[in-house]
Amino acid sequence: MASPCTVLADGADDAELARLVEIARRSALRIEHKWSRYRDDNIVHRINHAQGEAITVDDETARLIDYAALLWRESERRFDITSGVLRRAWRFDGSDRVPDRETVAALLPLVGWDKVTWRSPQLRLAPGMEIDFGGIGKEYAVDVTLRELVAATDKPVLVNFGGDLAASQPPRDGPWRVGIDSGAPDRPAPLIKLDQGAIATSGDARRFLLKDGVRYPHVLDPRTGWPVMDAPRAVTVAATTCIEAGTLSTLAMLRGAEAETFLQSRGCDHHVVR
Amino acid sequence: MQLKDPKGGAIAAAALTLLGGATPSQAEEKRWLFDTAMLFYTEGADRVYAFEPKLAATLDLRNGGAVNAGFTVDVLTGASPNGAAPSNQPQTFTTPSGNSSFTAAPGELPLDPSFKDTRFAGELGYTMPFGDANKLNVHGNASTEYDYRSLGGGATISRDFNLHDTTVSLGVNASRDSINPVGGAPTPLAEKTGAGGGPDQSKTVLDGLFGVTQVLSTTSLMQVNYSLSRSTGYLNDPYKVVSVVDADGDPVRYLFESRPDSRLKHAAFVQYKKFVIDRDVLEVSYRFMTDDWGIDSHTGDATYRFNFAGTHYLEPHLRWYRQSAADFYRVALDDGEPVTYASGDPRLGAFDGVTVGLKYGQTSWGNLQWSTRLEYYKQIGRVDGLPPVAGAALDKLDVAPDLNVIMLTLGARFRY
Repeated sequence: MASPCTVLADGADDAELARLVEIARRSALRIEHKWSRYRDDNIVHRINHAQGEAITVDDETARLIDYAALLWRESERRFDITSGVLRRAWRFDGSDRVPDRETVAALLPLVGWDKVTWRSPQLRLAPGMEIDFGGIGKEYAVDVTLRELVAATDKPVLVNFGGDLAASQPPRDGPWRVGIDSGAPDRPAPLIKLDQGAIATSGDARRFLLKDGVRYPHVLDPRTGWPVMDAPRAVTVAATTCIEAGTLSTLAMLRGAEAETFLQSRGCDHHVVR
Repeated sequence: MQLKDPKGGAIAAAALTLLGGATPSQAEEKRWLFDTAMLFYTEGADRVYAFEPKLAATLDLRNGGAVNAGFTVDVLTGASPNGAAPSNQPQTFTTPSGNSSFTAAPGELPLDPSFKDTRFAGELGYTMPFGDANKLNVHGNASTEYDYRSLGGGATISRDFNLHDTTVSLGVNASRDSINPVGGAPTPLAEKTGAGGGPDQSKTVLDGLFGVTQVLSTTSLMQVNYSLSRSTGYLNDPYKVVSVVDADGDPVRYLFESRPDSRLKHAAFVQYKKFVIDRDVLEVSYRFMTDDWGIDSHTGDATYRFNFAGTHYLEPHLRWYRQSAADFYRVALDDGEPVTYASGDPRLGAFDGVTVGLKYGQTSWGNLQWSTRLEYYKQIGRVDGLPPVAGAALDKLDVAPDLNVIMLTLGARFRY
């Protein structure tokens, strides 16, 4: 998952904790192995290298693709699992290397869920197109891991994969207390009290480009190939499941200046850092 | 949490659907891939029939590699040309074992009816990724039939560049074959009076391949390969003869064929693949091969995959082939003509071939993908290699008859 993963179990002894950590570790590795775009032996690699052939996917991948397809419609084409191709032009390393318009425009024919043929369980991409589950895979892993841990213990459990987390029930001494990275060292970290449910954060204040005094955040709009210029630095959302929280925070980022309006219309607990 | 907007509801509901599915253990990725195929081949009445079942399996390993194994059986029966030229007289030959004989009618290309073979072939391979974009494949293969055994192995290394848009592969392969002809291996150019009688023989083949695959655009890609193959050792077909004829083209005797003991082939292959009208796939390729036996060949191939409905497709196929004759290919030899090498094997002669085919398949039938392909191949012989003196007389006969082949292939593949 390329981030620290933590399991908290209230009242568990060392032996039980070791057992739960092993369950969580296996679950995280399974999902990471299955959908990482950095591997060349998984379903994502097969899909991305099929050169125009249709690939039959397993049930779990099919459900995730169905979910991504729904988000594409719900977000009015802003959330798109084919948008990773844009990384060929954009590298958010804090430098001033903003790509030229032609480079970005040349990639746009490779981006767009509407260019994909998805007839579950078969997916066909045009050659050169790619998908990745970067926007939802980790959050899904949190939910699935929590479910496996709940089946393995009756203690209150919290799973935290790099800041995206979910809890089964509150510990004996009151709710879980979750601090949120404020995005700036001089601002106090807000504290959220969580009984059960999930919290997910989108946005990485350290990833941007800066050119001629303009800050280009790393949130890309797949419809244009360019960053969403007024995107918040980070959006944190609380919801019943981590996948839902992660989705809402990601969609809010993609709304740019309207992130807060979007979250208010959803009526979910949220925290926006600008 | 409360929802004020039905769209929020849609996402929450979809999230629950996503998580509510099969448990992860049930959703475990299927790691076995099985590929089976069955080929039926016929050259028509009195000629070769072949039946070839195949089974291949690939297991994805958890360390990122894969192991594959395959097994093929080839069953061939029927009659095939023995290399002798047709004649105005009936011609009688002994079979390779020397124990029986067959007669070709006047004007007919002599066909040896004792052609019967069952070949078993197996292969085993291992692919492992190393580094970020490299892959190494090692493989071994073996085959056996009653008069021929082959053992080979090789390795291919491939590397991706430019965010996987470019793949470069480099491969080597070697094989060692042992040939134990029925009735013994004959002495080249010795007169055929019975069985060959000589000792067992062997052959070594070394191959090298260099290939580049490049994604050209969002909808197209191109592949270019160059390959080199060097064979040394016993390269004759121990059962083939060449006719020695008088000035009228009538047979005087038959000699066992004689080929050089080395052969160097160069081949270049280029393929272009394009995804068209957001639905279909067009594939065209061209291959050029040249060797130091004097054979040049050209192959043009085109398929169009018509994904007409959901998971069904139709794929028409058209292939054109042209080959020039080997320098030592001879319809027959004049009596007393001095030669070092001579073969009457029609496969070394000049001919054109056209294949037309149609494939129909379903990409998802439950857990199974299947296809069926019917192809028709017509080989049109071009006359070359006539002897200087008897050439005019032989040219009146059909020394390079056409060949018609029908092939049916049934294929199925499934994951488990």
